[in-house]
Amino acid sequence: MNTANNPALQRRYRADRRFRLYGLLALAFAMSFLLFFFVDIISKAMPALQQAEVKVTVQYTEAAIENYNKAVSRLDRRVVSKSWLRSLPRLLRDNPAMIGTSEELWVLAESRVDQYLKGHDGHGLKAKYQKRVDVLQQQGYTRMAFNTGFFINGDSKLPEYAGILASAIGSVMVLLITMALAVPVGVMTAIYLEEFAPDNHFTHVVEININNLAAIPSILYGLLGLAIFINFAGVPRSSALAGGLTLALMTLPIIIISTRAALRTVPETIREAAMGVGASQLQSVWHHVLPLAMPGILTGSIIGLAQAMGETAPLLIIGMMAYIPDAPNSALQAATVLPAQIYTWSSESLRAFEERTAAGILVLLVVLLSLNGVAVWLRKRSEQTW
Amino acid sequence: MNTKAEQKTKIHIENLKLWYGQDEALHGITLDIPENSVTSFIGPSGCGKSTLLRTINRMNDRIIGCRIEGEVLLDGQNIYDPQVDVVHLRTHVGMVFQKPNPFPKSIYENIAYAPRIHGLASDGGEMDMLVEASLQKASLWEEVKNKLNQPGTALSGGQQQRLCIARTIAVRPKVILMDEPCSALDPIATAKIEALIEELKTEYTIAIVTHSMQQAARVSEQTAFFYLGDLIEYGTTSDIFTKPQQQRTDDYITGRFG
Repeated sequence: MNTANNPALQRRYRADRRFRLYGLLALAFAMSFLLFFFVDIISKAMPALQQAEVKVTVQYTEAAIENYNKAVSRLDRRVVSKSWLRSLPRLLRDNPAMIGTSEELWVLAESRVDQYLKGHDGHGLKAKYQKRVDVLQQQGYTRMAFNTGFFINGDSKLPEYAGILASAIGSVMVLLITMALAVPVGVMTAIYLEEFAPDNHFTHVVEININNLAAIPSILYGLLGLAIFINFAGVPRSSALAGGLTLALMTLPIIIISTRAALRTVPETIREAAMGVGASQLQSVWHHVLPLAMPGILTGSIIGLAQAMGETAPLLIIGMMAYIPDAPNSALQAATVLPAQIYTWSSESLRAFEERTAAGILVLLVVLLSLNGVAVWLRKRSEQTW
Repeated sequence: MNTKAEQKTKIHIENLKLWYGQDEALHGITLDIPENSVTSFIGPSGCGKSTLLRTINRMNDRIIGCRIEGEVLLDGQNIYDPQVDVVHLRTHVGMVFQKPNPFPKSIYENIAYAPRIHGLASDGGEMDMLVEASLQKASLWEEVKNKLNQPGTALSGGQQQRLCIARTIAVRPKVILMDEPCSALDPIATAKIEALIEELKTEYTIAIVTHSMQQAARVSEQTAFFYLGDLIEYGTTSDIFTKPQQQRTDDYITGRFG
């Protein structure tokens, strides 16, 4: 058979190749956007990992207790971070023995100085201080240190002091509450609907509504949460509890739908096998169907939770888009979450917040990617049990 | 074969009608299945033979819109009586399905699962003995005794089906229903299952649905021929295959339709 001379067959092969090419082009297009995004975010976020420090002479005087500005020279006042200066009176009150001494110290630099040293445009540092920083730099009195503050501080109006920790803790709290509520309720609902519910109008109405709920704009869940949890049930506004409950409402339909899909992939023959040896319906589901559906249930739940973690719109309504300088101690205190923190920083005007915004995005991405990684790992692991 | 009259009737089906929603799938079946023998149900697809088989351990209960009239008596007790517990019934009437469906667990667990939930044996030595005995009876022990902890789903199709039979006999049923147990198997595996059925019938009452008339002729004492939800003819296998009373039966077994 000589296929080379068969024009119809050649045409089919050409169509085949063309289709594959289109697919590759689409893939390359999508990948290039992703690549651009990652390069952009990472290059913007990297500088945030380093923070400028300057070496200044500190005078521990009586006057500094009343006015912390007096602890350093007039020129250095705008070069060092206010967050450090503000901590001085307390330090002196706690350690009166230090009064009257002086020392040279590496301290956190002001954000404009930091930006100036990093060579960023729009650093906003006045010429007079630029000169001072130049002098310090020539003396070797400036350095770049790893920005630990970013990971151990909460939000601050002083960008050099602003960190991600408070919002990360808020995110963890919200996520735990969402998980504790949405996963068991969602999985149980799905099991009931799929395995036990009678096939009647009521069940159909419930099913249709659940499917619709999954497609509702998430901001409406914020309104629902505001009405039910805050206004009616009296949960404190802005609290992790209110956020967790609201996001649980949003995640429920996703978990129900993915769990039902997972249950439906379990072959009917397994249920028959269990029933055939005299297992009750609950035993059949619990011992045989559920273990087989587990990978799907886990994947669906984790993806639902990851989506909840990146959600901002409903939290806007219940007041979690707020300035939270301290990590919450309980689920009832005001809290914020990672995406909300990113949004707050992105609307700040100081140049130093820009790199923090990028770094915040990077932290959120790392968390979400690790969550998805856990989903993949769990799936693989539970599949290996045959 | 004139054993039929001497044998005790194990299952008596009396004027059984069954509907799937509006469709009447069985139009009043009356049938006696004698104890410790093999009865085969034959007939073309959609004739109701599998449906009838499934009424004997109430597997049809699971099907939405399925409704039943008439009686199925197991040892004189109507299994559709409200006081009969369906879970309990299924320990007396086991079932082997068309496609081998071992649990996705180890070979050992496949056998031990049902005795455990019914409290027939305690874990440990007693369970080990029950597992071995069941696998012995299903002629599978020699092949799997060194790999009891391996997944049951890793066995060959024929071995899986014998595992399913072993799993069924582990709960010591009186009746075993087989719904085309060999239709997914090759001839060698089929021969093994048939030999097994031959052995099992000394202890169990077996009802088997089959598409293969040769199989019905080989393994069963009684044969029932169904057509479109009616029992057309029922008698000893030799009678059905050598001197059928009905024209339809004759047409079917000689291959003129079906």
